[in-house]
Amino acid sequence: MEEQTLTTSHPKKSRRDFLDLLVGASFLGWLVTMAYPIIRYLKPLPQTGASGPTHLTRDESSKLEQNKFVIVPVSGQRVIVLQAPDQQLFAFSAKCTHEGCTITYQPAQSVLWCPCHDGRFDLNGRVLSGPPPQALAKYDARRQPDGSIVISEQKA
Amino acid sequence: MTLAGSRMGALSFLNKKPDMNGPGKGGGLLGWLDRRYQLTALTEFLRHKEVPLGSHWMGWYYLGGITLFFFIVQVVTGVLLLMYYQPGETTAYESIRFLTTKVPFGWLIRSIHSWSAHLMIISLVLHMFSTMMLKAYRPPRELTWVSGYLLFLLTLGFGFSGYLLPWNKLAYFATTVGTNIVASVPLLGSWLLQVLRGGQDVTINTLYRFFAGHVVILPLAVVGFIGLHIVFIQRQGMAPPLGAKVAPRGMKFFPSFALRDLLLWLACLMVLLALAVFLPYGPGIPGMDWELGQKADPLAPAYPGIKPEWYFLWEYQLLKEFPPHLFGLEGPQVCLLLIALMFGIWGLIPWLDRRVRRDQPSPAFSDFGWAALLFLTYLTLLAWDIGAGAASGAGDELTALRNIARVCAWWTLGAGALVIVVRYLRYEHRWFLLSGAALLQVTLHGLVGLTYLLAGVISVVLAAVWIVVAHFVGSRTDRRSET
Repeated sequence: MEEQTLTTSHPKKSRRDFLDLLVGASFLGWLVTMAYPIIRYLKPLPQTGASGPTHLTRDESSKLEQNKFVIVPVSGQRVIVLQAPDQQLFAFSAKCTHEGCTITYQPAQSVLWCPCHDGRFDLNGRVLSGPPPQALAKYDARRQPDGSIVISEQKA
Repeated sequence: MTLAGSRMGALSFLNKKPDMNGPGKGGGLLGWLDRRYQLTALTEFLRHKEVPLGSHWMGWYYLGGITLFFFIVQVVTGVLLLMYYQPGETTAYESIRFLTTKVPFGWLIRSIHSWSAHLMIISLVLHMFSTMMLKAYRPPRELTWVSGYLLFLLTLGFGFSGYLLPWNKLAYFATTVGTNIVASVPLLGSWLLQVLRGGQDVTINTLYRFFAGHVVILPLAVVGFIGLHIVFIQRQGMAPPLGAKVAPRGMKFFPSFALRDLLLWLACLMVLLALAVFLPYGPGIPGMDWELGQKADPLAPAYPGIKPEWYFLWEYQLLKEFPPHLFGLEGPQVCLLLIALMFGIWGLIPWLDRRVRRDQPSPAFSDFGWAALLFLTYLTLLAWDIGAGAASGAGDELTALRNIARVCAWWTLGAGALVIVVRYLRYEHRWFLLSGAALLQVTLHGLVGLTYLLAGVISVVLAAVWIVVAHFVGSRTDRRSET
């Protein structure tokens, strides 16, 4: 309120206000100009690589055979592929929904287990115990007629 | 001296015990901190610090700050580059190529880093020579000179080590030649060479060592010495030139001088950015471009045109002027000895300049600075090949070299004459023996056609004889007052 009476009674004050605004705005513009390239530079480039259905390599298939599970990249995501005792294939996102650790498969109990904070999931990806708040995202795992295994994202 | 003495008490706040119940200035966060850490005492110290005003030009006082500014830019852009750079045989070159072609503004960050490196060396050299000419190294500021001198050497190390990191052909061979000089050190030579290179030859192990040096060892050392350098300067204040009429009250360092500094930094930043944006691979001057070029290949032969950065060109040229053998030693050994001697003299100037230690003018040392500049100028021009274009048609190589030397000699003589005239008329200097000797060498080599070393020896001997004779005759010419 007081400033307003000042500006009206002293016209010079309003000129100064205008200049202050001008200087402030230029400074802000300068700051944005300086910051923009650095922000763009720091933002990582989008990941490039194969996307879509992924065939398991021979190595991965033999690992699956041996350990009953294998972790493979599918469209840049970690996916755990496992073989249930009845030979059925399952595939889930290997990223635990709690803090993002990579989960493992325990064939003896037929559970997916995250060792970081002891989260357990069943073979439908649902939480059995522990702190994970959500079920694991499911992937499609199919055995082709030629015996190779293809993993693909589930269509919603 | 008295100015510095009166300021010694100003740092007494360092010994103050925290007075938690004391008033502290103001409330809020600032008051809370002030009661604990006596911030007001610190700003009080800065407020009392003054920059000497008088008949001298203030401009020289800003060069150190500008050098610091470019160093800060180097740290910031260097850290940004580190986020994409991957040292390694198959990654170093590739990561820089990825950075400059794919990463948004990657080319700009690299361009700023390169430009700022060159500008930092330019401002550092100007700062050093202005300190030299104005005799700011005189007591009590000898150690400020020494710390600055060490910073100069470390900065050269930065330039040399950073040059190899993109792992391209030019850098590979320049580093091979540059590190090979170390082999000339007596006794320790081959050990030093292996430690520097991480093996007998320049390999990827050399890159790892240079990388460690460039991003960890040198930055730590430089930050430490900058701290020391600044503590010295804050403690003693800036030096007024010898014999200058200094006003009784100087300019307040804070805020008056600091704000001027800041404004200049802003101007430097804008110039730097303009250069980096419009000339992203350098101005195209030899020794001042950073086109990535081809990847280094240790099994490929060297090719013509392998030259270091511009600030090493004089050493490169001097090395070329030495014959394979001299005085029973190898040419490069004698050359290294000479370079070491010159660097040694440069570092010890505050003690060698005995007249200025007694607060008397020392015209010989002013002239020494100019002679050094002329010496460096001539060698750099020779390495730059100015006049080579005209000479290339001359047929045999010797005539071509003569032509280059002649053109460079005329340019150096012109510059030298101009400097002497300006010093004589404007600054009333009357002592030109050393710069005269430097110009004599240029004349004998470039115009008469003697070898570079013979021309140098004749000039040095003549200058020495002159000094000895003048000393015995008691000529008064060197007693005239000047700075």
